[in-house]
Amino acid sequence: MDRLIFDVAAVVAVLFAALMVLNRNPVRSVLALVVSFFFLAIGYVLLWAPFIAAIQVIVYAGAILVLFLFVLMLLNVPLEDVAGTEPRPIQQILGGAAILLFTIGLVELLSGYGAKNVTQAGAMDFARGRIGPLARLIYSEYLLPFEALSVLLLAALVGAFVLVEREKRP
Amino acid sequence: MTFLDWTILVLRVALPALILPGIVIPLVWYERRVAAFIQDRPGPNRVGPFGLLQSPADILKLFMKEEVIPASTDKLLFQIAPALAIFAALSTFAVIPYGGTLSIGGRQIPLIGADISIGILYVFAITSLSVYAIVLAGWASNNKFSLMGGIRSGAQLISYELAMTTAGAGVILAASSFKLSDIVSMQQGTWLGFIPRWNLFPQFLGFLVFFISTFAETNRLPFDLPEAEAELVAGYHTEYSAMHFGSFFLAEYLNIMVACAMTATLYLGGWSLPGFDPHGVLGVALSVLIFAAKTGFLVTVFIWVRWTLPRFRYDQLMRLGWKVFLPAALANLFWAAALEMWRMAK
Repeated sequence: MDRLIFDVAAVVAVLFAALMVLNRNPVRSVLALVVSFFFLAIGYVLLWAPFIAAIQVIVYAGAILVLFLFVLMLLNVPLEDVAGTEPRPIQQILGGAAILLFTIGLVELLSGYGAKNVTQAGAMDFARGRIGPLARLIYSEYLLPFEALSVLLLAALVGAFVLVEREKRP
Repeated sequence: MTFLDWTILVLRVALPALILPGIVIPLVWYERRVAAFIQDRPGPNRVGPFGLLQSPADILKLFMKEEVIPASTDKLLFQIAPALAIFAALSTFAVIPYGGTLSIGGRQIPLIGADISIGILYVFAITSLSVYAIVLAGWASNNKFSLMGGIRSGAQLISYELAMTTAGAGVILAASSFKLSDIVSMQQGTWLGFIPRWNLFPQFLGFLVFFISTFAETNRLPFDLPEAEAELVAGYHTEYSAMHFGSFFLAEYLNIMVACAMTATLYLGGWSLPGFDPHGVLGVALSVLIFAAKTGFLVTVFIWVRWTLPRFRYDQLMRLGWKVFLPAALANLFWAAALEMWRMAK
């Protein structure tokens, strides 16, 4: 039963991720990504990580993508004009090669893991839907990377401001 | 699991979702009567006894009316938005404990849809999704007023969600659990024999921030800027008619009940009362009634405020959210942490 729900959620998540890329309407693209994130969260729940699932929905689907949607609506981005921009042959070849490489890498990676490791990860104590052990790890062993990450986000924020300022000055 | 277990499980989850839309009907009547009382006029009193059948008549009208979808709208999103609003409002109830534990024939049936380990986070997650319904309705209508309403609503929801979640973190800290059933059970009993152990008393600031933020989250006066009729016609639902509009209306009232039920659970002890231990069917029924009474009281406060305070200006709204509520919620979090450390040291 769990396996079935997981598979369906995974397929829907991938499907909507593809829809995000293929859709010509930017607003619909964002919405497809929201649906994809939502089904990704269902996957997290079934992998005994409900906390990650909730954070995934609150932060990504609920906050960041709403801001994306805001920007798109305020700027009223038009539909992407696909007709006039046929890709050049070199782009087609390189794109095809990239897809092939990515697929091979993905298959290689996944064949190393597989369903066995998923259940092993689920048997781990801190993954059993409990948040305390996770918090302890973040605030002891991984404190430095955790804080460094937040500084990285801050740096990105400052960077965005610098870019805007530079554009303003003639 | 036997067939009986499945039936009980389905009933536990489905009952709130089935009963609550039914409660909305008398709730609308109640609001109109209270409004009339505040404004010293009779209110709806013609249809049925005390005008009680006014709301069913209105709903019947909404069902009968013609559904108009303007030509220049985004047809798909225009129709998904109201459904999304109801989905977000109804699915929140699944994790709110609405009564004690019923024991029949050796079975323990806790009166809660699903007692998941991240209950309160689940509520916050679903609330954060509910903003899509309004933003989408505003955008898909292809109407200036609707778009302004939708964007205002989005900005407002995100701003106040921050303060609300931070205030809620104080409760999580005090209970050291995300489970709503744990949060209720830690509020049982009394201090000094007469003060109930509700979070309301040690975290009064948090309660204020949380409860007032829910007004903004449900788009109610004095924070109903997304549908400010003086400026925006009707805001995000300007282009909606018949039952599509009815869905938004239903979702708004469901959201009020969610907000009040959550406030009652987090700060007023949920279904518990000091010195009351639900035994047997009657005791459990009483616990459900206690929960309903607490929620009903907060709903009355919602209506009372709506007909008392005028609407905020947009800059006032944003200043209140970011410069007053967020610092207050953070101060409450520090206070809750200090209390917890003091309790541990003792």
